[in-house]
Amino acid sequence: MLRRTTLAVASLLAAGLLVLTACSGGSDQAAPTTPGEPDPDASVAIRLVLEPGNLDIRETAGSALDQILVDNIYQGLVARTPEQDIVPALASDWTVSPDGLTYTFTLREGVTFHDGQELTPQDVVWSLTTRRDTPEWRDSARLANVTSIAAEGQDITLTLSAPDSTLLWNLTGRAGIVLKEGDTVDYKTAANGTGPFVLADWRQGDSITFSRNDAYWGDEAGAAEVVFDYIPDNQAALNAALAGEVDVLTGFDANLKDQIEANGDFSLVLGQSTDKGTLAFNQTSGPLADKRVRQAIRQAIDHDAVIEALASGQTQYGPIPELDPGYEDLSDLAPYDPEAARALLAEAGAEDLELTLTIPSFYSTTIPQILVSDLDEVGITLDVNSVDFTTWLTDVYTNHDYELSFVLHTEAHDFENWANPDYYFTYDNPEVQELYAESLAATDEAEAADLLEQAARIVSEDSGADWLYNGASVVAVGTNITGMPSINVNERLNIAEIAKSNG
Amino acid sequence: MIRYTLTRLALLLLGLLVASVLIFVTLRVLPGDIAHLIAGVGSSPEQQDAIRERLGLDRPLPAQYLDWIGGLLRGDLGTSLLTGTRVVDELAQKAEVTVPLGILSLLIAVVISVPLGVLSAMRRGRADGTALSVGAQALAAVPVVWAGMMLVVVFAVWLGWLPAQGFPRAGWNDPAAALRSLILPALTIGIVEGAMLLRFVRSATLQAVGQDFVRTAAAKGLTRDQALVRHGLPVVGLSVITVLGLQVAGIIVGAVVIEQLFSLPGIGRMLVADVAARDLPKVQGELLALTGFVLIVGFVVDLLHRVIDPRQREAS
Repeated sequence: MLRRTTLAVASLLAAGLLVLTACSGGSDQAAPTTPGEPDPDASVAIRLVLEPGNLDIRETAGSALDQILVDNIYQGLVARTPEQDIVPALASDWTVSPDGLTYTFTLREGVTFHDGQELTPQDVVWSLTTRRDTPEWRDSARLANVTSIAAEGQDITLTLSAPDSTLLWNLTGRAGIVLKEGDTVDYKTAANGTGPFVLADWRQGDSITFSRNDAYWGDEAGAAEVVFDYIPDNQAALNAALAGEVDVLTGFDANLKDQIEANGDFSLVLGQSTDKGTLAFNQTSGPLADKRVRQAIRQAIDHDAVIEALASGQTQYGPIPELDPGYEDLSDLAPYDPEAARALLAEAGAEDLELTLTIPSFYSTTIPQILVSDLDEVGITLDVNSVDFTTWLTDVYTNHDYELSFVLHTEAHDFENWANPDYYFTYDNPEVQELYAESLAATDEAEAADLLEQAARIVSEDSGADWLYNGASVVAVGTNITGMPSINVNERLNIAEIAKSNG
Repeated sequence: MIRYTLTRLALLLLGLLVASVLIFVTLRVLPGDIAHLIAGVGSSPEQQDAIRERLGLDRPLPAQYLDWIGGLLRGDLGTSLLTGTRVVDELAQKAEVTVPLGILSLLIAVVISVPLGVLSAMRRGRADGTALSVGAQALAAVPVVWAGMMLVVVFAVWLGWLPAQGFPRAGWNDPAAALRSLILPALTIGIVEGAMLLRFVRSATLQAVGQDFVRTAAAKGLTRDQALVRHGLPVVGLSVITVLGLQVAGIIVGAVVIEQLFSLPGIGRMLVADVAARDLPKVQGELLALTGFVLIVGFVVDLLHRVIDPRQREAS
């Protein structure tokens, strides 16, 4: 009896398999080799790596939220281009008074929220004021020195207590987002913005779908629908691409270039990014309090080998990446020289050093492997302590309980951390703090950048940390896709111009 | 039988209570907290405290535990700190992937193991029997992840027959697509679990061959194989049911790995994400539901066993 049942089940299953596989027979594999006319009804699938925990743009931190929600769903008075230029968004233009204390924006007319309500100047005043006055809201401190926010007609005026050269930039991010006053939407799972896309569906742990906002005030989006597929594993993402299930892969491993390009359906694009692979030194006590030891570690590391292993990105020898204001090539400050490193360690009396590297577990083992072998060369034994991110936040970030730590800092314009002695970098130099304050107060962009450049040089001379690399934004784009941005897409991904042709 | 059932039921409830305490305490030992994760890098301790207070995480642990258990007794597994949705709802949604995946895996494991296990026992000592037995041993040792990758490379990337990852957005509204996306993951678990089960079926069959009633049947004129199939296999089937009950736990563990590998939005993948996010009320609910499920399967198997096998009833 058992055998008969088993056989029946087996043959049923086999038959089912055959039917299922037969009806799929590669029919969904559109593989055009040349781009054709864009299809306005197309659905584009984009692979992303990090899924947000919830969609609350007001309170929940994390670049996974900024990446998809800002620009596409939510907008501010101003926005930034991938090249990091500040451009008009909900404001058609703006003026800044010569003393840098008054910003006046002209709000566009005829803008509506996704639920159909009209955008009013009062919404802008309410959004910015509430942001500033609600400490739980992300980036509220960035508006701290805005003393008043007022509307007159379509003009919105921000008055500052002191000049702030970062204000416009901050308004392109979370701090500047405009929400509907008194909205009752459940921000954790839903959204109501003014952007070119509407949140259509969120399948937690799987995908988020945006559909085109047909009532959008600006140019209509190129694709009818964009699906963000969250696939953390690179190999799984590659398989999905090769099987024709996704059109674009972000956060890709450049080492897989040949495999993704093999069948001609994808090409790999390397864009600049503000990702800084930062090796932090806890310099409050112990051997790393000695600048010579920190300098020795920097010179023991073969930065070119790091770039080669990652197959993307470029070297960076100071706190500011090339895309940000204040960048300067500081490679002469820490050239690869194991001999010099050994001499410095001997001078500091720090031979046969044993150090621990605390690293969040979602990073690949490439970096720790290089560090262990490079430091071993100069007589430093490195123990690698891989921890999950929440543990890292508690131990390293909050309690500063670490010796060396590696984190990829993705944020643009984040020099402020070097001017904050309480930050986990534990870097404390009054001169740098002063230069940063002056840069903030500068009313001239070039002057602000110049002050940052001076400060950054000092940080690097002090070996405040080591910058292992400035990452590239690695994107594999289907050959039938146009309009995919390639710069800094892990931080912000504007999908308005993405279009897909059917071949 | 009634007394046995009641005793067994009491044990089940006790097991659940112990599990709930263990789960609650173990999770509290983990470093890291969700308030910091929500507030993020760059947040002040005050911001984190405000979030912690709003989420009720600043209250004493016994109070939190009693709250949780109180909710459970009312049939409420709690709500996610991160998304604010009910754990029950999310479990139900993810179960749409995990339950069919588990059933399919179990089916495949049975389909592979039972006929091949019996065959391998009947051919014991011959070349094909030995080959089967050695093959099963080797397959059972294969890491699930590797098996999955191989299947993906062959059936999704080379042949393009089946999807490499993901679950259709339409879900079971598109049954063919949903089923297709589960075939490779289920095969992966099914083959590895099936290989383990095969070895069990083989030894159970060999044991049956040596039993008196099979020998008696053979003495009455049946061939050894006929005697085994008619009289031995029902006994083998009985012990297979017990092992299948145990196998459920193995399949749940397999699902955690496989759902990651195939990007399937199921309970396993949700659990991993929630632990990483320290969404403790949600992890508690999920773990307790899974533990409860395994305990209940064990309970049902035990009862079934008693109902089917007259020898056990007599023993009590």
